Amino acid sequence: MTSTLDAPASAATNGKIPVTVLTGYLGAGKTTLLNRILTEDHGKRYAVIVNEFGEIGIDNDLVVGADEDVFEMNNGCVCCTVRGDLIRVVAGLMKRQRPGKPAFDAIIVETTGLADPGPVAQTFFVDEDVKAKTQLDSVTALVDAKHVMARLDDSKEAREQVAFADRIILNKTDLASEAELTAVEQRLRKLNPLAPITRAERANVPLDQVLGLHGFDLERILDINPEFANPAHGEAGHVHDEHCGHDHHHHDHDGHDHDHHGHDHHDHGHDHSHGARGHAHEDDIKGISVSVDGPLNGQKFTAWLDRLLGEQGQNILRAKGIINVEGEERRLVFQAVHMILEGDLQREWGANERRWSRAVFIGRDLDEAAIRAGFESCAA
Amino acid sequence: MTHFAFDAQITAALFDKDGAVFALGDGSVRFEDGSYNEVHDGAVLCAALHPSGEGVVTGGDDGRVIWSRKEEAGVLATSAKSQWIDAIDASAETKLIAFSSGKTLSVIDATDMGFRRDFEHERTVSGVAFDPKGRRIATSTYGGAALWYARIAQQKPTLLKWAGSHTGIAFSPDGNFLISTMQDAQLHGWRLKDSKDMRMGGYPSKVRSVAFLSDGRLMATSGAQGAVLWPFVGANGPMGKEATEIGYDEGSLVTLVAGQPKLGVMAAGLSDGRVWWADPAGQGLRFLKAERGAAICALAMSPNGQRVAWADEDGNAGVAEA
Repeated sequence: MTSTLDAPASAATNGKIPVTVLTGYLGAGKTTLLNRILTEDHGKRYAVIVNEFGEIGIDNDLVVGADEDVFEMNNGCVCCTVRGDLIRVVAGLMKRQRPGKPAFDAIIVETTGLADPGPVAQTFFVDEDVKAKTQLDSVTALVDAKHVMARLDDSKEAREQVAFADRIILNKTDLASEAELTAVEQRLRKLNPLAPITRAERANVPLDQVLGLHGFDLERILDINPEFANPAHGEAGHVHDEHCGHDHHHHDHDGHDHDHHGHDHHDHGHDHSHGARGHAHEDDIKGISVSVDGPLNGQKFTAWLDRLLGEQGQNILRAKGIINVEGEERRLVFQAVHMILEGDLQREWGANERRWSRAVFIGRDLDEAAIRAGFESCAA
Repeated sequence: MTHFAFDAQITAALFDKDGAVFALGDGSVRFEDGSYNEVHDGAVLCAALHPSGEGVVTGGDDGRVIWSRKEEAGVLATSAKSQWIDAIDASAETKLIAFSSGKTLSVIDATDMGFRRDFEHERTVSGVAFDPKGRRIATSTYGGAALWYARIAQQKPTLLKWAGSHTGIAFSPDGNFLISTMQDAQLHGWRLKDSKDMRMGGYPSKVRSVAFLSDGRLMATSGAQGAVLWPFVGANGPMGKEATEIGYDEGSLVTLVAGQPKLGVMAAGLSDGRVWWADPAGQGLRFLKAERGAAICALAMSPNGQRVAWADEDGNAGVAEA
């Protein structure tokens, strides 16, 4: 097993080229978003790696076709799948870089609707040459509000792309009603409680919410706010926060027969459907949140995490945590992509900061009770 | 030592009949006397000596194969759909040039512009090498290697399978062995007469180059803290033998090696920017560039073994006398 709670992820200032991975099925709006990124006047130049060479509609000097050459690699203790074509293409792109005067400032990798984001992300962690020159910035999933529910129903890849993402852009919101959007966001949050969801029409999301996210920079893990701790807008127990983009007094509860008492919906026993999907619908992928209100034994935790990822790394898509290690003044933060784990001691706990240990695991077929019990057994 | 400072990545270094030649990431080919041709619309991805010995043939990310010699350059071929030319090799014996783009191996004839062959593979081709006689071509892909007859239009190649990602390919000078470099930091090999597999491992990092010396009795390799040398003697080649290592230095890795098959000397470029030259059978090892700097990313040895061309990742290059 990787057993590597070792070197920190590098900061943007280390000269490495940031890489943004854009996932999403055909029609979600990736091309529109890509073209916005490329043509908006921000003075940055991008190299874009697309799946089909000559994929029409992308207007840029540096567009490279890659052929999704996925293979399994045995990298010491870690066995994972990588995209061989990306290793080759990144090496080729780096040949254009001039000492001190880069030919491009960032790389965007666009994947197809059927792509498994795992190999794409893992490539940036396991190849020494790619790691030396680039830094994965984020995996951003584009979904379209009108079709995403159907896509999530019929496509395992669509569910995985959502679950894997650091950020989800819910596009074409103009084509769905508020109730539909609420239902969509609810389902997205169940699949991925960590990724912020940004609504957009015609992919008009502000670019600073797509690029430069430092999604894999351990230094930037400030807090973990799994969104199911805050039920989706419209559900019982919902607490309004900055993610609520609209005035809640207008939301539409089909089939509800409760009274609106300001924001307090806590007394409801729900047993009715919220539109087409309903509570009964359970996706195979979900997020599990665990916490201990206090310190963990550092060695026990490391051993437990290593074993968990070693045994179930294929099923665990992403994981993130902030841990209070007994006897240590600094926060231990970690993030994982399947079996590939990165962790480091970050800044010191603040004087008035609540010192609790928490983690989120997003994956399929996970034994929630076992994971919770295992985490809690590491309490100091 | 002659020094150059280029404003681009140096992607290859070679010696033609007149001296050192550097191919750059800005698409230019630079000669030792300072003259240069701006030939590619993008970066040069691979280069080989032209079969005539004059100038170099380069493959670019513009999909073109271009022959450059002093004051003259011409496009010899383009890939279908202008895909990147990832690998190239040429044979002085048969005057053929072979290059790969995507899953296709293409062969052209430097003496006959009408000649062209295209051979398809199932996976992307990562390396191309002519056998010593120039009649067969080996390609490396994911899953192994393929052997093609250079001129035959319709053929099924001989497939040499070995699971894993093979990133480069080379023939031994006697044509009896084929060596591939692999993604997971090891070398694989095949004895061609019976397709027997061999594995050369123990490297701490990926092996980016191999060079045969001493009429093929030794194969020098990069990828470790010293240059690792495998003996290739007799019908078994390196099988059952152990490698030796020279120039071990704990703090750096050998990134590239260079040699000339008939000679007994070799050069090594290091990750800390230094370059050394050695005669493994003889006495010692000399630093041709002792000054540390960016990692060495291109290296070549002159035909007489007395000069070494090197380049680093900061755009510095030079030609040193051994």
